[in-house]
Amino acid sequence: MTPISQDDRIALNALIDGQLSPSEAAALEARIAAEAALAAARNEIAATRTALRNLPRPAVSPRFLEAIDALAEPAKPAVVPQPPRRNAWFEGWQNIAAAVVITAFLASGATYWLSAPRPATLEELIADGHHRSLLAATPVDVQSSDRHTVKPWLDARLGISPPAPDLAPTGYPLVGGRVEVLGGQAVPALVYRHNEHTISLVARPSAAAATAPRAFASGGYNMLEWIANGFAFTVVSDLEPSELAAFVDNYRAAAS
Amino acid sequence: MTGFPSTARSSPNGRADQVQIRQAVDPERAAQLFRQVVLPHLGDGLALARWLAGNASDAEDIMQDACLRALRAIDGYRGGNARAWLLVIVRNTAFNWLARQRSSTLVMVGDLADVDDAASEASATDTTLRSTPESELIRRADQQAVAEAIAALSLPMREVVVLRDINDFSYKEIADMLDLPIGTVMSRLSRGRQQLAALLVRAEP
Repeated sequence: MTPISQDDRIALNALIDGQLSPSEAAALEARIAAEAALAAARNEIAATRTALRNLPRPAVSPRFLEAIDALAEPAKPAVVPQPPRRNAWFEGWQNIAAAVVITAFLASGATYWLSAPRPATLEELIADGHHRSLLAATPVDVQSSDRHTVKPWLDARLGISPPAPDLAPTGYPLVGGRVEVLGGQAVPALVYRHNEHTISLVARPSAAAATAPRAFASGGYNMLEWIANGFAFTVVSDLEPSELAAFVDNYRAAAS
Repeated sequence: MTGFPSTARSSPNGRADQVQIRQAVDPERAAQLFRQVVLPHLGDGLALARWLAGNASDAEDIMQDACLRALRAIDGYRGGNARAWLLVIVRNTAFNWLARQRSSTLVMVGDLADVDDAASEASATDTTLRSTPESELIRRADQQAVAEAIAALSLPMREVVVLRDINDFSYKEIADMLDLPIGTVMSRLSRGRQQLAALLVRAEP
């Protein structure tokens, strides 16, 4: 069969797509009836078109629809489920910390929530907070190896502070402290260093019974969590799990 | 593949509408507009993203990024074809994404004359005599082969073919969306389908 011209081919495509006027279509149909090459090309184009149109369409999952719908909701971060409040005084320091919450939230939280397809877990938020702190100019809001500086600083802002022993003798010097905002709650975080690695220790008030440290990983970081002394502690670092566990042992021994 | 929601095309776009839209500065109005304009066309956007990007796993990422851009640009929506408005954003997002992810392998649009020449050569060599009609061989092609053939198209042809045969836009709509003369759209579609046909025939064992 002789190849047909590109103009004829374009016209055949337009015919199949229903984009020709009735008179143009009739004229082309007449030529197709007379020329086998045109008929073959018409069939080929129609078959290609059908093959394309028979392809499966990606489904819009309810999860995806929800995530996109949430983009439009500027107030969405505020309604993300928060961990239940433990007791009344907790509410008190939360009010005191309102300014810190708002500032830190605007600075760090809003963009995160906009792109998050679902509410992140607390562990992921802690890992993200650690990650953000490493990208910032300094991972601490108050820089001091002196627990008598770090503890009062956190106390003044949040009304609470975890034990902040300097563990330099065992190779984990205290660098300082910062405020972490998790799902709308401002909580204290301590920062330690081991060689070139930074360790964030987040302490959330908890009335739950004490638990032993449990190791896991989130967001590419190694983490450990345990409950003791009225706090739920979470440490996060890029340290090896064994070194991080050694840090936790040291901290727990010094804090008790 | 027909039967898309026709609300976008049939909705009246009176002057009053447009005035309202321009004033969409408060987040609540923007959110409402976003839901009206964007949410009905997520499936269409995902399909476009999937076939432009070449794989299904990236389509949601591209679409989510596109929706964020659409939300930021919702003030610029002047009424009219919401589906076309959104899918232009999806298309641009997908192209940015392709450029970022595969800058080493991406065939840049560059000189379109080259693309057209390549298409002509392909047609000249592939239109040979066969015992089985090409159309029959194309009909036998499985979805995997069709997907690979689409991925093998150059971007200028791929986008026109996908907008026409996956998203079912008219020639005129595609020309408006891509800001191309309608003759160019017709030419790229013709050559794109021709290349696809040649690839599908060749893929046949």
